[in-house]
Amino acid sequence: MEVFIEKENNVTTARFVGRLDTPASQEVSKSVEPILEDPSGTIVLDCKDMEYISSSGLRIFLTIRKAAASKGGKVIVKDINNDIRQVFMMTGFLNLFEIQ
Amino acid sequence: MNRLLDAHCEQILQEYRDHLPEFQKQALAIQHTLRTTLDKAGIIVASIESRVKTEDSLAGKLELKGAKYKSLADITDIVGLRVITYYSEDVDKVASAVDRLFDIDWENSVDKRKLLEIDTFGYLSLHYICTKKGFEYRFEIQMRTILQHAWANMNHDTGYKSGVEIPTYYRRSLSRMAGLLELVDEEFSRIRVELADYRRKVQALVASGNLDDAPLDLETYRSFLDMEPFDRLNRNIAGINQAEIQPVSLLPYLEVFQFLECKTLGDVDRLIKECSDGAFQLASYQMALTDLDIISSSVGPQNLCIAYILKRGGGSVGIKRMFDILNGPSDSHEMLAEFLLEQAKDLPFMNEKSHGTH
Repeated sequence: MEVFIEKENNVTTARFVGRLDTPASQEVSKSVEPILEDPSGTIVLDCKDMEYISSSGLRIFLTIRKAAASKGGKVIVKDINNDIRQVFMMTGFLNLFEIQ
Repeated sequence: MNRLLDAHCEQILQEYRDHLPEFQKQALAIQHTLRTTLDKAGIIVASIESRVKTEDSLAGKLELKGAKYKSLADITDIVGLRVITYYSEDVDKVASAVDRLFDIDWENSVDKRKLLEIDTFGYLSLHYICTKKGFEYRFEIQMRTILQHAWANMNHDTGYKSGVEIPTYYRRSLSRMAGLLELVDEEFSRIRVELADYRRKVQALVASGNLDDAPLDLETYRSFLDMEPFDRLNRNIAGINQAEIQPVSLLPYLEVFQFLECKTLGDVDRLIKECSDGAFQLASYQMALTDLDIISSSVGPQNLCIAYILKRGGGSVGIKRMFDILNGPSDSHEMLAEFLLEQAKDLPFMNEKSHGTH
Protein backbone atom coordinates (compact mmCIF):
# COMPACT_ATOMS: atom_id res chain seq x y z
CA MET A 1 0.00 0.00 0.00
CA GLU A 2 1.24 3.46 -0.85
CA VAL A 3 0.03 6.82 0.42
CA PHE A 4 0.67 10.05 -1.44
CA ILE A 5 0.04 13.25 0.48
CA GLU A 6 -0.34 16.63 -1.13
CA LYS A 7 -1.25 19.94 0.41
CA GLU A 8 -2.68 22.82 -1.53
CA ASN A 9 -3.91 25.92 0.28
CA ASN A 10 -6.15 24.61 3.04
CA VAL A 11 -6.79 21.20 1.50
CA THR A 12 -4.70 18.16 2.29
CA THR A 13 -5.22 15.17 0.02
CA ALA A 14 -4.07 11.67 0.94
CA ARG A 15 -4.25 9.27 -1.98
CA PHE A 16 -4.31 5.61 -1.02
CA VAL A 17 -3.11 3.07 -3.57
CA GLY A 18 -3.54 -0.66 -2.97
CA ARG A 19 -4.96 -2.69 -0.07
CA LEU A 20 -5.31 -1.02 3.31
CA ASP A 21 -5.22 -4.27 5.24
CA THR A 22 -3.84 -5.09 8.68
CA PRO A 23 -0.21 -5.68 7.56
CA ALA A 24 -0.20 -2.38 5.66
CA SER A 25 -1.87 -0.36 8.41
CA GLN A 26 1.23 0.19 10.55
CA GLU A 27 3.09 1.84 7.70
CA VAL A 28 0.02 3.80 6.64
CA SER A 29 -0.37 5.09 10.21
CA LYS A 30 3.11 6.57 9.93
CA SER A 31 2.43 7.96 6.45
CA VAL A 32 -0.62 9.91 7.63
CA GLU A 33 1.11 11.42 10.65
CA PRO A 34 1.73 14.75 8.83
CA ILE A 35 -2.04 15.04 8.38
CA LEU A 36 -2.60 14.59 12.11
CA GLU A 37 -0.11 17.35 12.91
CA ASP A 38 -2.27 19.97 11.21
CA PRO A 39 -5.81 18.66 10.71
CA SER A 40 -7.55 22.05 10.82
CA GLY A 41 -8.45 22.40 7.13
CA THR A 42 -10.15 20.04 4.71
CA ILE A 43 -8.71 16.55 4.49
CA VAL A 44 -9.55 14.52 1.40
CA LEU A 45 -8.98 10.79 1.66
CA ASP A 46 -8.80 9.84 -2.00
CA CYS A 47 -9.70 6.15 -2.28
CA LYS A 48 -9.95 5.89 -6.06
CA ASP A 49 -7.08 3.39 -6.14
CA MET A 50 -7.81 1.70 -2.84
CA GLU A 51 -8.80 -1.92 -3.38
CA TYR A 52 -9.69 -3.02 0.13
CA ILE A 53 -10.04 -1.71 3.67
CA SER A 54 -9.82 -3.71 6.89
CA SER A 55 -10.76 -2.79 10.45
CA SER A 56 -7.24 -1.42 10.92
CA GLY A 57 -7.80 0.85 7.95
CA LEU A 58 -11.12 2.01 9.36
CA ARG A 59 -9.35 2.84 12.63
CA ILE A 60 -6.86 5.01 10.74
CA PHE A 61 -9.70 6.88 9.03
CA LEU A 62 -11.38 7.28 12.42
CA THR A 63 -8.20 8.69 13.96
CA ILE A 64 -8.00 11.26 11.16
CA ARG A 65 -11.66 12.13 11.65
CA LYS A 66 -11.21 12.64 15.39
CA ALA A 67 -8.12 14.80 14.89
CA ALA A 68 -9.93 16.93 12.30
CA ALA A 69 -13.03 17.29 14.49
CA SER A 70 -10.94 18.49 17.42
CA LYS A 71 -9.41 21.26 15.30
CA GLY A 72 -12.53 22.24 13.40
CA GLY A 73 -11.39 20.51 10.21
CA LYS A 74 -13.44 18.23 8.00
CA VAL A 75 -12.77 14.93 6.30
CA ILE A 76 -14.03 13.94 2.88
CA VAL A 77 -13.74 10.35 1.70
CA LYS A 78 -13.63 10.36 -2.06
CA ASP A 79 -14.23 7.77 -4.76
CA ILE A 80 -14.60 4.60 -2.71
CA ASN A 81 -15.44 1.48 -4.67
CA ASN A 82 -18.63 -0.45 -4.03
CA ASP A 83 -16.97 -3.12 -1.86
CA ILE A 84 -15.48 -0.51 0.44
CA ARG A 85 -18.75 1.40 0.51
CA GLN A 86 -20.43 -1.79 1.71
CA VAL A 87 -17.82 -2.15 4.47
CA PHE A 88 -18.52 1.43 5.54
CA MET A 89 -22.24 0.66 5.58
CA MET A 90 -21.97 -2.67 7.45
CA THR A 91 -19.85 -1.11 10.19
CA GLY A 92 -21.98 2.00 10.55
CA PHE A 93 -19.14 4.20 9.29
CA LEU A 94 -21.12 5.53 6.35
CA ASN A 95 -22.53 8.56 8.12
CA LEU A 96 -19.31 9.30 10.01
CA PHE A 97 -17.74 10.81 6.91
CA GLU A 98 -18.74 13.03 4.06
CA ILE A 99 -18.47 10.57 1.20
CA GLN A 100 -18.17 11.89 -2.34
CA MET B 1 -4.24 64.06 21.62
CA ASN B 2 -2.55 66.78 23.69
CA ARG B 3 -4.30 67.36 26.98
CA LEU B 4 -3.88 70.33 29.25
CA LEU B 5 -3.28 68.68 32.60
CA ASP B 6 -2.18 70.28 35.85
CA ALA B 7 0.69 68.88 37.95
CA HIS B 8 -1.69 66.83 40.11
CA CYS B 9 -3.23 65.12 37.10
CA GLU B 10 0.20 64.57 35.53
CA GLN B 11 1.21 62.81 38.75
CA ILE B 12 -1.79 60.49 38.51
CA LEU B 13 -1.00 59.83 34.86
CA GLN B 14 2.61 58.97 35.74
CA GLU B 15 1.40 56.55 38.41
CA TYR B 16 -0.72 54.94 35.69
CA ARG B 17 2.29 54.60 33.37
CA ASP B 18 4.37 53.06 36.16
CA HIS B 19 1.72 50.45 36.89
CA LEU B 20 0.53 49.72 33.36
CA PRO B 21 2.19 46.26 33.07
CA GLU B 22 0.59 45.26 36.37
CA PHE B 23 -2.84 46.47 35.20
CA GLN B 24 -2.50 44.43 32.03
CA LYS B 25 -1.44 41.36 33.97
CA GLN B 26 -4.26 41.71 36.49
CA ALA B 27 -6.89 42.29 33.78
CA LEU B 28 -5.97 38.95 32.19
CA ALA B 29 -5.76 37.19 35.56
CA ILE B 30 -9.22 38.40 36.61
CA GLN B 31 -10.62 37.43 33.21
CA HIS B 32 -9.14 33.95 33.62
CA THR B 33 -10.54 33.60 37.16
CA LEU B 34 -13.99 34.62 35.95
CA ARG B 35 -13.86 32.26 32.97
CA THR B 36 -12.78 29.30 35.10
CA THR B 37 -15.40 29.96 37.78
CA LEU B 38 -18.28 30.42 35.35
CA ASP B 39 -17.26 27.32 33.37
CA LYS B 40 -17.12 25.29 36.55
CA ALA B 41 -20.57 26.55 37.58
CA GLY B 42 -21.97 25.69 34.15
CA ILE B 43 -22.93 29.31 33.45
CA ILE B 44 -22.67 29.77 29.70
CA VAL B 45 -21.89 33.34 28.73
CA ALA B 46 -21.50 34.99 25.34
CA SER B 47 -18.19 36.60 26.21
CA ILE B 48 -15.87 37.83 28.92
CA GLU B 49 -13.84 40.83 27.89
CA SER B 50 -11.12 42.67 29.74
CA ARG B 51 -9.39 45.95 29.00
CA VAL B 52 -7.06 48.43 30.62
CA LYS B 53 -8.06 52.06 30.18
CA THR B 54 -5.84 53.71 27.58
CA GLU B 55 -3.60 56.57 28.58
CA ASP B 56 -5.49 58.91 26.27
CA SER B 57 -8.84 57.94 27.77
CA LEU B 58 -7.50 58.42 31.29
CA ALA B 59 -6.00 61.78 30.36
CA GLY B 60 -9.36 62.84 28.94
CA LYS B 61 -11.06 61.84 32.16
CA LEU B 62 -8.50 63.73 34.23
CA GLU B 63 -8.80 66.80 32.03
CA LEU B 64 -12.54 66.78 32.59
CA LYS B 65 -12.72 66.05 36.33
CA GLY B 66 -9.17 65.57 37.59
CA ALA B 67 -9.75 67.53 40.79
CA LYS B 68 -12.24 64.89 41.88
CA TYR B 69 -9.51 62.27 42.21
CA LYS B 70 -6.89 62.38 44.97
CA SER B 71 -4.88 59.55 43.47
CA LEU B 72 -5.08 56.86 40.79
CA ALA B 73 -6.69 54.54 43.31
CA ASP B 74 -9.79 56.76 43.26
CA ILE B 75 -10.42 55.88 39.64
CA THR B 76 -12.29 52.60 39.71
CA ASP B 77 -12.29 51.59 36.05
CA ILE B 78 -8.60 51.56 35.12
CA VAL B 79 -9.04 47.80 34.83
CA GLY B 80 -12.45 46.92 33.46
CA LEU B 81 -14.14 43.65 32.62
CA ARG B 82 -17.39 42.94 30.91
CA VAL B 83 -19.37 39.74 31.08
CA ILE B 84 -22.03 39.39 28.41
CA THR B 85 -24.72 36.80 29.11
CA TYR B 86 -27.36 35.32 26.86
CA TYR B 87 -30.16 35.47 29.42
CA SER B 88 -31.14 38.23 31.84
CA GLU B 89 -31.31 35.88 34.85
CA ASP B 90 -27.72 34.85 34.15
CA VAL B 91 -26.62 38.42 34.89
CA ASP B 92 -27.60 37.77 38.52
CA LYS B 93 -25.84 34.40 38.52
CA VAL B 94 -22.65 36.02 37.24
CA ALA B 95 -23.04 38.77 39.84
CA SER B 96 -23.32 36.15 42.54
CA ALA B 97 -20.13 34.47 41.28
CA VAL B 98 -18.34 37.85 41.22
CA ASP B 99 -19.51 38.52 44.78
CA ARG B 100 -17.94 35.23 45.90
CA LEU B 101 -14.68 35.79 44.05
CA PHE B 102 -13.95 39.41 44.96
CA ASP B 103 -14.71 42.02 47.59
CA ILE B 104 -17.39 44.37 46.32
CA ASP B 105 -17.33 48.07 47.02
CA TRP B 106 -21.10 48.32 47.37
CA GLU B 107 -21.09 52.06 47.85
CA ASN B 108 -19.73 52.58 44.35
CA SER B 109 -21.37 49.63 42.60
CA VAL B 110 -24.46 50.39 40.55
CA ASP B 111 -27.38 48.30 39.44
CA LYS B 112 -28.53 50.44 36.54
CA ARG B 113 -31.42 48.06 36.02
CA LYS B 114 -32.99 49.53 39.15
CA LEU B 115 -32.26 53.14 38.41
CA LEU B 116 -34.65 53.59 35.54
CA GLU B 117 -38.14 54.95 36.19
CA ILE B 118 -40.98 52.56 35.46
CA ASP B 119 -41.95 54.51 32.36
CA THR B 120 -38.46 54.93 30.86
CA PHE B 121 -36.31 52.53 28.95
CA GLY B 122 -32.58 52.65 28.49
CA TYR B 123 -29.26 51.35 29.68
CA LEU B 124 -29.62 48.23 31.81
CA SER B 125 -26.43 46.89 33.27
CA LEU B 126 -24.94 45.85 36.55
CA HIS B 127 -21.62 47.42 37.51
CA TYR B 128 -19.62 46.07 40.42
CA ILE B 129 -16.56 47.86 41.74
CA CYS B 130 -14.29 45.17 43.14
CA THR B 131 -11.02 44.59 44.93
CA LYS B 132 -8.93 41.47 45.21
CA LYS B 133 -6.02 40.30 47.28
CA GLY B 134 -2.63 41.18 45.85
CA PHE B 135 -3.91 44.09 43.77
CA GLU B 136 -4.11 47.49 45.41
CA TYR B 137 -6.41 49.10 42.81
CA ARG B 138 -10.11 48.71 42.41
CA PHE B 139 -11.50 47.39 39.14
CA GLU B 140 -14.91 47.36 37.51
CA ILE B 141 -16.92 44.40 36.29
CA GLN B 142 -19.91 45.15 34.08
CA MET B 143 -22.51 42.48 33.57
CA ARG B 144 -25.31 42.60 31.02
CA THR B 145 -27.17 40.55 28.46
CA ILE B 146 -26.14 40.37 24.85
CA LEU B 147 -29.18 42.46 23.85
CA GLN B 148 -28.42 45.09 26.49
CA HIS B 149 -24.88 45.07 25.15
CA ALA B 150 -26.10 45.57 21.58
CA TRP B 151 -28.28 48.45 22.65
CA ALA B 152 -25.52 50.05 24.73
CA ASN B 153 -23.14 49.87 21.77
CA MET B 154 -25.66 51.38 19.37
CA ASN B 155 -26.51 54.09 21.87
CA HIS B 156 -22.82 54.74 22.39
CA ASP B 157 -22.20 55.11 18.67
CA THR B 158 -25.12 57.40 18.02
CA GLY B 159 -25.43 59.04 21.40
CA TYR B 160 -23.61 60.91 24.02
CA LYS B 161 -20.03 60.51 22.86
CA SER B 162 -20.62 61.77 19.35
CA GLY B 163 -20.20 65.34 20.58
CA VAL B 164 -23.45 66.42 18.95
CA GLU B 165 -26.71 66.79 20.77
CA ILE B 166 -29.06 64.30 19.15
CA PRO B 167 -32.64 65.30 18.39
CA THR B 168 -35.48 64.12 20.63
CA TYR B 169 -36.88 61.96 17.85
CA TYR B 170 -33.73 59.77 17.76
CA ARG B 171 -33.47 59.65 21.53
CA ARG B 172 -37.06 58.47 21.63
CA SER B 173 -36.29 55.82 18.95
CA LEU B 174 -33.36 54.51 20.97
CA SER B 175 -35.46 54.46 24.11
CA ARG B 176 -38.24 52.61 22.26
CA MET B 177 -35.70 50.06 21.05
CA ALA B 178 -34.43 49.58 24.59
CA GLY B 179 -37.99 48.78 25.66
CA LEU B 180 -38.35 46.32 22.80
CA LEU B 181 -35.06 44.58 23.62
CA GLU B 182 -36.04 44.38 27.29
CA LEU B 183 -39.20 42.59 26.19
CA VAL B 184 -37.19 40.22 23.97
CA ASP B 185 -34.82 39.48 26.87
CA GLU B 186 -37.80 38.55 29.01
CA GLU B 187 -39.27 36.40 26.24
CA PHE B 188 -36.00 34.49 25.81
CA SER B 189 -35.95 33.82 29.54
CA ARG B 190 -39.57 32.72 29.56
CA ILE B 191 -38.96 30.33 26.65
CA ARG B 192 -35.90 28.91 28.39
CA VAL B 193 -37.86 28.29 31.58
CA GLU B 194 -40.71 26.65 29.66
CA LEU B 195 -38.31 24.48 27.66
CA ALA B 196 -36.58 23.34 30.84
CA ASP B 197 -40.00 22.48 32.25
CA TYR B 198 -40.91 20.56 29.08
CA ARG B 199 -37.60 18.69 29.25
CA ARG B 200 -38.26 17.67 32.85
CA LYS B 201 -41.75 16.45 31.95
CA VAL B 202 -40.38 14.42 29.03
CA GLN B 203 -37.66 12.91 31.20
CA ALA B 204 -40.32 11.94 33.73
CA LEU B 205 -42.42 10.35 30.97
CA VAL B 206 -39.44 8.41 29.66
CA ALA B 207 -38.42 7.34 33.16
CA SER B 208 -41.95 6.19 33.99
CA GLY B 209 -42.20 4.23 30.76
CA ASN B 210 -45.16 6.24 29.44
CA LEU B 211 -43.52 6.45 26.06
CA ASP B 212 -46.78 6.70 24.15
CA ASP B 213 -47.44 10.06 25.84
CA ALA B 214 -44.13 11.48 24.64
CA PRO B 215 -44.35 12.92 21.12
CA LEU B 216 -41.29 12.17 19.02
CA ASP B 217 -39.25 15.35 18.76
CA LEU B 218 -35.70 16.44 19.41
CA GLU B 219 -36.19 16.92 23.14
CA THR B 220 -37.98 13.64 23.76
CA TYR B 221 -35.61 11.72 21.51
CA ARG B 222 -32.60 13.10 23.38
CA SER B 223 -34.08 11.90 26.67
CA PHE B 224 -34.88 8.55 25.07
CA LEU B 225 -31.24 8.18 23.96
CA ASP B 226 -30.18 8.67 27.58
CA MET B 227 -31.87 5.31 28.22
CA GLU B 228 -29.45 3.76 25.68
CA PRO B 229 -32.23 1.99 23.77
CA PHE B 230 -29.90 0.60 21.09
CA ASP B 231 -27.13 -0.59 23.38
CA ARG B 232 -28.30 -4.16 23.76
CA LEU B 233 -28.62 -4.63 20.01
CA ASN B 234 -25.25 -2.98 19.39
CA ARG B 235 -23.61 -5.24 21.96
CA ASN B 236 -25.16 -8.29 20.32
CA ILE B 237 -23.94 -7.18 16.90
CA ALA B 238 -20.46 -6.40 18.28
CA GLY B 239 -20.42 -9.90 19.76
CA ILE B 240 -20.49 -11.44 16.28
CA ASN B 241 -16.82 -10.54 15.72
CA GLN B 242 -15.91 -9.37 19.24
CA ALA B 243 -15.84 -5.88 17.76
CA GLU B 244 -15.22 -2.64 19.59
CA ILE B 245 -18.10 -0.17 19.46
CA GLN B 246 -17.25 3.37 18.46
CA PRO B 247 -19.82 5.70 20.04
CA VAL B 248 -21.32 8.23 17.63
CA SER B 249 -24.28 10.61 17.79
CA LEU B 250 -27.56 8.87 17.08
CA LEU B 251 -29.51 12.11 16.77
CA PRO B 252 -29.54 11.89 12.92
CA TYR B 253 -31.82 8.84 13.27
CA LEU B 254 -34.60 11.05 14.66
CA GLU B 255 -35.41 12.14 11.11
CA VAL B 256 -35.35 8.53 9.93
CA PHE B 257 -37.79 7.46 12.65
CA GLN B 258 -40.01 10.38 11.69
CA PHE B 259 -39.80 9.25 8.06
CA LEU B 260 -40.89 5.81 9.25
CA GLU B 261 -43.95 7.56 10.71
CA CYS B 262 -43.07 7.10 14.34
CA LYS B 263 -45.16 9.71 16.13
CA THR B 264 -44.22 8.94 19.72
CA LEU B 265 -41.33 7.41 21.63
CA GLY B 266 -43.68 4.47 22.14
CA ASP B 267 -43.65 3.92 18.36
CA VAL B 268 -39.83 3.90 18.32
CA ASP B 269 -39.74 1.56 21.29
CA ARG B 270 -42.08 -0.88 19.55
CA LEU B 271 -40.03 -0.64 16.36
CA ILE B 272 -36.95 -1.65 18.35
CA LYS B 273 -38.74 -4.58 19.95
CA GLU B 274 -40.27 -5.75 16.69
CA CYS B 275 -37.17 -5.46 14.52
CA SER B 276 -34.23 -6.25 16.80
CA ASP B 277 -34.11 -9.88 15.65
CA GLY B 278 -34.18 -8.85 12.02
CA ALA B 279 -31.49 -6.22 12.60
CA PHE B 280 -29.29 -8.80 14.26
CA GLN B 281 -29.87 -11.37 11.50
CA LEU B 282 -28.84 -8.81 8.92
CA ALA B 283 -25.70 -7.87 10.84
CA SER B 284 -24.80 -11.55 11.36
CA TYR B 285 -25.17 -12.26 7.66
CA GLN B 286 -22.97 -9.28 6.79
CA MET B 287 -20.29 -9.56 9.45
CA ALA B 288 -19.90 -13.25 10.18
CA LEU B 289 -17.68 -14.01 7.20
CA THR B 290 -15.54 -10.90 7.66
CA ASP B 291 -12.87 -10.03 10.20
CA LEU B 292 -14.32 -6.57 10.80
CA ASP B 293 -13.87 -5.91 14.49
CA ILE B 294 -14.92 -2.30 14.75
CA ILE B 295 -18.44 -0.90 14.42
CA SER B 296 -20.04 2.40 15.22
CA SER B 297 -22.99 2.64 17.58
CA SER B 298 -25.17 3.61 14.62
CA VAL B 299 -25.13 0.03 13.32
CA GLY B 300 -27.98 -0.93 15.64
CA PRO B 301 -30.43 1.80 14.62
CA GLN B 302 -29.34 1.52 10.98
CA ASN B 303 -30.13 -2.20 10.80
CA LEU B 304 -33.34 -1.73 12.80
CA CYS B 305 -34.59 0.80 10.27
CA ILE B 306 -33.56 -1.41 7.34
CA ALA B 307 -35.35 -4.41 8.84
CA TYR B 308 -38.42 -2.28 9.50
CA ILE B 309 -38.49 -0.86 5.98
CA LEU B 310 -38.09 -4.29 4.41
CA LYS B 311 -40.74 -5.88 6.64
CA ARG B 312 -43.14 -3.12 5.66
CA GLY B 313 -42.45 -3.69 1.96
CA GLY B 314 -40.57 -0.41 1.58
CA GLY B 315 -37.96 -2.19 -0.55
CA SER B 316 -34.86 -0.61 -1.97
CA VAL B 317 -36.62 2.75 -2.47
CA GLY B 318 -37.27 2.99 1.27
CA ILE B 319 -33.70 2.00 2.16
CA LYS B 320 -32.26 4.48 -0.32
CA ARG B 321 -34.43 7.20 1.24
CA MET B 322 -33.09 6.27 4.68
CA PHE B 323 -29.47 6.63 3.53
CA ASP B 324 -30.36 9.88 1.73
CA ILE B 325 -31.75 11.27 5.00
CA LEU B 326 -28.67 10.22 6.94
CA ASN B 327 -25.92 11.09 4.47
CA GLY B 328 -27.49 13.44 1.96
CA PRO B 329 -28.84 12.31 -1.43
CA SER B 330 -26.48 10.09 -3.45
CA ASP B 331 -26.90 7.69 -6.36
CA SER B 332 -24.57 5.27 -4.59
CA HIS B 333 -27.30 4.65 -2.00
CA GLU B 334 -29.27 2.83 -4.65
CA MET B 335 -26.47 0.28 -4.98
CA LEU B 336 -26.39 -0.18 -1.20
CA ALA B 337 -30.16 -0.55 -1.07
CA GLU B 338 -30.11 -3.24 -3.78
CA PHE B 339 -27.23 -4.98 -2.00
CA LEU B 340 -29.17 -5.02 1.28
CA LEU B 341 -32.35 -6.21 -0.41
CA GLU B 342 -30.44 -9.11 -1.92
CA GLN B 343 -28.83 -9.99 1.42
CA ALA B 344 -32.06 -9.83 3.37
CA LYS B 345 -34.37 -11.71 1.05
CA ASP B 346 -33.72 -15.16 2.56
CA LEU B 347 -33.29 -14.07 6.17
CA PRO B 348 -35.91 -15.40 8.61
CA PHE B 349 -37.24 -11.97 9.63
CA MET B 350 -38.41 -11.30 6.09
CA ASN B 351 -40.86 -14.14 6.35
CA GLU B 352 -42.21 -13.23 9.77
CA LYS B 353 -45.59 -11.65 9.96
CA SER B 354 -45.53 -7.94 10.79
CA HIS B 355 -47.53 -7.01 13.90
CA GLY B 356 -48.01 -3.34 13.11
CA THR B 357 -45.81 -1.07 15.13
CA HIS B 358 -48.03 2.00 15.31
